[in-house]
Amino acid sequence: MTVTTSSSAPSATTEGSTAAPITPIVALHDVTKVYPTGRAALSEVNLFIPEGDFVFLVGPSGAGKSTLIKLLIRDELPTSGQVIVAGQDVARLRGRDVPRLRRKIGTVFQDFKLLPNKSVAENVAFALEVTGTPGRVIRPAVERVLSIVGLTAQAKQLPAQLSGGELQRTAIARALVHEPKVIIADEPTGNLDPLISWEIIQLLLRINELGTTVLMATHNADVVTALRKRVVALDDGHVVRDEIGGAYHREYW
Amino acid sequence: MIRFLLFSVKRAAQGFWRNIVMSLAATATMVLMLLLLAGLLIVVTGLNAGLDYFESKVEVTAFVRDGASAERITEVMDRARAMPEVADVTFVSKDEAVARFRAYNEARGQTDLTDVLPWNPLPASIEVDLADPLVYAQVAKALEDERDVVEEVIENQSVVNALLTVTNTMRLAGTVVLGLVALTVFFIVINTIRLAVVARAREIEIMRLVGASDAFIRWPFVFEGVFVGLLGALVTLALLALAYQPLSQVMFALFQVLPLRFGEFVVRDVTLVVMGAGIALGGLGSYVSVRSYLGR
Repeated sequence: MTVTTSSSAPSATTEGSTAAPITPIVALHDVTKVYPTGRAALSEVNLFIPEGDFVFLVGPSGAGKSTLIKLLIRDELPTSGQVIVAGQDVARLRGRDVPRLRRKIGTVFQDFKLLPNKSVAENVAFALEVTGTPGRVIRPAVERVLSIVGLTAQAKQLPAQLSGGELQRTAIARALVHEPKVIIADEPTGNLDPLISWEIIQLLLRINELGTTVLMATHNADVVTALRKRVVALDDGHVVRDEIGGAYHREYW
Repeated sequence: MIRFLLFSVKRAAQGFWRNIVMSLAATATMVLMLLLLAGLLIVVTGLNAGLDYFESKVEVTAFVRDGASAERITEVMDRARAMPEVADVTFVSKDEAVARFRAYNEARGQTDLTDVLPWNPLPASIEVDLADPLVYAQVAKALEDERDVVEEVIENQSVVNALLTVTNTMRLAGTVVLGLVALTVFFIVINTIRLAVVARAREIEIMRLVGASDAFIRWPFVFEGVFVGLLGALVTLALLALAYQPLSQVMFALFQVLPLRFGEFVVRDVTLVVMGAGIALGGLGSYVSVRSYLGR
């Protein structure tokens, strides 16, 4: 799977624009996004996430968190500015290179996005099947990620038989199965109770320790405050705070 | 490539079975639409065959002067035979003309008066059967120009024109109705398949999120659409085959005057149209329906 990265030759943008010794896995340069309706969701946002970082993205509803994530997975294109993910300018990608970019990003959502008629293992394997991975590669890869998220015993169960935490762990396993450079989680604990939320956070922290960059958008103040990780706060389309070990201030509810 | 095809076919079969209600609904719609199309095609083909038959009855009749030489008559007939769109040229002698006249009157129950006359008043004639009534005027003119042989050409142009107007209008009407129904079938089938695809928007969304290329998303759906089309076409043909015996008897009763082997052409054409339309509509419907989710 990782062989595909050889196709992404390092572009001038990643080398030139940041003189920092650490290469950013995600970089936004003066990014503005105005929707066709005229609403400006993001205004001149600058953000650098070095490889291996764990970053919380916080802010009230409508602050632009979802738009930022959509730009990263190239669901939307920036109106102006540059979005670089894994060394590639997303706006310059040709249509057929977009799927390759998405394989380098693992996405996790609040609503899990699992297929109800497929078992846990099948849901995870699906991500590899639809990218043309041969069967002999799929099985060990699925077993590996299921053991990482601790769902080996539930591999044959259908989503309807699982708890919320298990559903989200299935989604995380699926996000991991391509061995992505970065995991982008949009409110992954939004539908879960506090105890299960902690489980999910612990899992994401472990994945981060294994070397994968994690960007997590959340409303969960307890988690953000307790973990003392880097916090990027958005409000009305602007980055209003970007600090390491920041607490989740009341004003960002 | 082979893995991709296997994957697509496998996914298509899975898609069909795991959404069996939607698949059967789409197939049923497909069957009804194809039956409509096939039924109309049969009727229009029958109509056209009937119109062809009436048109083939158009002939130019030229009365031959008494005393025209046999060689000249043969010459004129050969020339007529050589003209384009002329099916057949026959000579009706004076005796044959009288015999026909008598038979005609007898059939109508009228007294035969030809015996009363001391001579045969009816002229011999050259009858030219036309393959296409459009050349009527041209053939009539050519015969008229042979003044030494031809005394008079029966003026039938207005009748021929009227016939052509009627047959052409009916042909056009048949084609227009067939076209409208084909268009309706096209949109209904495409829409039905679109519904089946929309019901699985989530699946497509997930495939895009995990980095499936457009081809991997599109082709399983296209194959599934082709499968629905093929199944619909086979069911339609099976239903038509069951209806064939009683239907062909009705057709025979209606069109028994037809000289051509009407049945065989219809069977071949309908099979081709039903199979082609089913497969093409199924595949195309899926293709355009999935397309709106791709390329982003």
